[in-house]
Amino acid sequence: MEIIEKIKTNKSDDNLTEIQKICLHKLQSSPLPNPKSELWRLSNKSKLSTFLDFSVNEKDSKFDMPYPKNSQSTIRLIIGENYQIKLIEKNYSIQQLSEDELQKYIKEQISFFKQNENWSDLLNLSLSCKNNILGLKINGSKIPPIEIFSNASSNSLNAKTLVIFLEKNCDVELLQVNLGKENSSLSQSTFFCLKENSSVNHGVVSYGENRSNLLNSLNVIQQKNSSYNLGSLHFKFNYARFEISINQSAGNAKTHIKGMQITKKDEQISTYTKIEFNGPNGFLDQINKSLADDKSHAVFEGSILVPKVAQRTDASQLSRNLLLSNLAQIDTKPQLEIIADDVKCKHGATISQLNEEELFYMRTRGITLTEASKLQLSSYFQEIISFIPISKDKWDLLDKLLNEN
Amino acid sequence: MVNENLVKDVVKEPYKYGFVTDIETEKIEKGLNEDIIKLISQKKEEPKFLLDFRLKAFKKWQKMKEPDWAALGYKKIDYQDIIYYSAPKQKEKISSLDEVDPKLLETFDKLGIPLTEQKKLTNVAVDAVFDSVSIATTFREELAEHGVIFCSISEAVKNHADLIEKYLGTVVPASDNYFAALNSAVFSDGSFVYIPKGVTCPMDLSSYFRINSGDSGQFERTLIIAEESSSVSYLEGCTAPMFDTNTLHAAVVELIALDDSSIKYSTVQNWYAGDEEGIGGIFNFVTKRGKCLGKRSKISWSQVETGSAITWKYPSCLLLGEESVGEFYSVALTNNLQQADTGTKMIHIGPRTKSTIVSKGISAGNSKNSYRGLVKMGTKAAGSRNYSQCDSMLIGDQASANTFPYIKSQQPNSEIEHEASTCRISEDQLFYLQSRGIEFEEAVSMMVSGFCRDVFNQLPMEFAAEADKLLALKLEGSVG
Repeated sequence: MEIIEKIKTNKSDDNLTEIQKICLHKLQSSPLPNPKSELWRLSNKSKLSTFLDFSVNEKDSKFDMPYPKNSQSTIRLIIGENYQIKLIEKNYSIQQLSEDELQKYIKEQISFFKQNENWSDLLNLSLSCKNNILGLKINGSKIPPIEIFSNASSNSLNAKTLVIFLEKNCDVELLQVNLGKENSSLSQSTFFCLKENSSVNHGVVSYGENRSNLLNSLNVIQQKNSSYNLGSLHFKFNYARFEISINQSAGNAKTHIKGMQITKKDEQISTYTKIEFNGPNGFLDQINKSLADDKSHAVFEGSILVPKVAQRTDASQLSRNLLLSNLAQIDTKPQLEIIADDVKCKHGATISQLNEEELFYMRTRGITLTEASKLQLSSYFQEIISFIPISKDKWDLLDKLLNEN
Repeated sequence: MVNENLVKDVVKEPYKYGFVTDIETEKIEKGLNEDIIKLISQKKEEPKFLLDFRLKAFKKWQKMKEPDWAALGYKKIDYQDIIYYSAPKQKEKISSLDEVDPKLLETFDKLGIPLTEQKKLTNVAVDAVFDSVSIATTFREELAEHGVIFCSISEAVKNHADLIEKYLGTVVPASDNYFAALNSAVFSDGSFVYIPKGVTCPMDLSSYFRINSGDSGQFERTLIIAEESSSVSYLEGCTAPMFDTNTLHAAVVELIALDDSSIKYSTVQNWYAGDEEGIGGIFNFVTKRGKCLGKRSKISWSQVETGSAITWKYPSCLLLGEESVGEFYSVALTNNLQQADTGTKMIHIGPRTKSTIVSKGISAGNSKNSYRGLVKMGTKAAGSRNYSQCDSMLIGDQASANTFPYIKSQQPNSEIEHEASTCRISEDQLFYLQSRGIEFEEAVSMMVSGFCRDVFNQLPMEFAAEADKLLALKLEGSVG
């Protein structure tokens, strides 16, 4: 109940938007996710309550950009700043969604929400005020890369929402950066709707600071012949959950996902993915990597649903995990639920530490143990990082991962 | 081919073990309460520690909730509408098989189980359990010469109370789960095996479970103890008559392997699965667990699950001893409206422990077949390894195949590998076989048996042949 009280004390009922009211109403019946449900069973309860402990903040302070804007052509947006976006060029157009369009779309999404599966979204939508919702409609091709930032201020709980419509035949590169400040909580929900024949290279980089928390939810609907590529990286969060839900609404779509989470100290980072094929000829190639060190805990749960309509689906999912310390813990649960018979589905999972033979080989060649493990790690990271758009040439993520702490 | 004709003859009879033996039975009234448990205990002339064990389990059971996490849907079981003890009436004490009711012997004969000791050629010792009681155990003298104890658990309670008291409930505690608690409260009979130090059991041991009455549940309990450097292979078979009501079967199997010993436990489960509309059939809720207590001990589970309307079964290994080994080989076939949620748990506790999981699921008709497994590496399991492979095959577009592997590691110096795949019968292969003059259904059953080969190779010889035939029969009519 506490969380609902918190939202309400901030505002009187009249100031709440219709969406906030609907979500609050849904949260009222069960304010917290069921800890026994499969999706929340492994989630650290005390960390979740720390997440909710901060007071809700609707305006946030300026933050330091993690890297300079080095090319004029990149479009850079920060959720929470008041924009009037209307970019109409020869090849493309980027426009802000109207209030009505936003309302209608979000309401439609809420009607499919389930209490435990979409708890993070419900929380996000009941917290995020008008200013913190950014809706974009993107059309055309040869669009300059887009960067969208979302951040939380210290000692507060911030909620940011992003809604993106990709119109037919549209092709875009988009990087989303979620920045956590010291002692902060960020709730980020993203809704993507890919119309026919559209394609996106989506990058999600969530980069925290000391004791920052994150609930990051990503909902994607893919129409026919669309192609969705996601590269994601989550690190340096005291507590972070990344929930991905992808729905190939009419099949015939392609999804590639490469994600990674790195946990150190006593952090807990989890990734939950749910991929639904609601039509034939769907394709999925997913790899999720985790690295757990010190006393940390990394969790991956991926489910693939192939109902009867989804004939000729080709889906593969791989979970690769590195456990580097005696006190760290990794849980992984890839799962398949299949009814269609003409499908190719496979999944695999491994948990191990760095390959000793490789280490030995490098050491015999005069490379020190530290250097050798770094080399191994960098090859482990590189596969994911190279898949994240835009970032690779200006923000040296690999260096950040290998050399910080 | 002679063999083919034989198969066809059998096919005409959809479930050939579906007959009922008309024999006078002694049943107690329906329902479950403390008095019923006391009555069962009294009928079996049990010592006090066992009655206490039962009552304690019953108290725990009353506080527990029926699990609902499995991917199974079945109508609620009314636990007060079940008879918890049913036994064929026979003379007080029997000294030899000649005194067993000939009708019972006939029943087991019909099932193809050799109880009469003239059939020594088979070289398999059998403990036959009919409803709630064990009616006969063969080859006892021969086994006794080697110091092997093989008898019904009721007899073991009387003659080897010390062993029962020491080990019963140590692997599957009464409070382990809902069905284990129920079994601990009301278990009626089952088998007991004790292999002394250094002995390799001279023959395969086998128990055969038969449910005969429609309204009584079967709750058997099996306990196998392998002392240091001993080894045993144990087979289990099950059948039941056809009734249009559902019968509950909740068994507990406990295995204990000490230093350098090995236990191989094989099951061919062919309980009545209900008819094509899903009416009737056995609800099979079984807790099977082995404890590798000793260093270098080994427990191997192999199972062929083809029967039962509902199967809920996870044979597991607790790998405590250094370098102990756990294995799980399973074929689960579901057809019509059958539902199976089965798999294994491999809990690595000791250092350098190893486990292998090979699971093959085949779903046909409107059935649902799930693999659910857990592999856990504890903090002390340094140098441990696990390899799991789960393959599913779908036949027809109404069946569903699910895979839920849970993997948990707390030990960096260990390796876990898991892979799973789902496919259907390859049209190319089918075409190839048909072009060689092999009929469609036969080609399918050949391919299914090829798909299951990794598991069949692990089964004892008699079982492997039977399992192959069983799968072919079960799939009849489901293709095309």
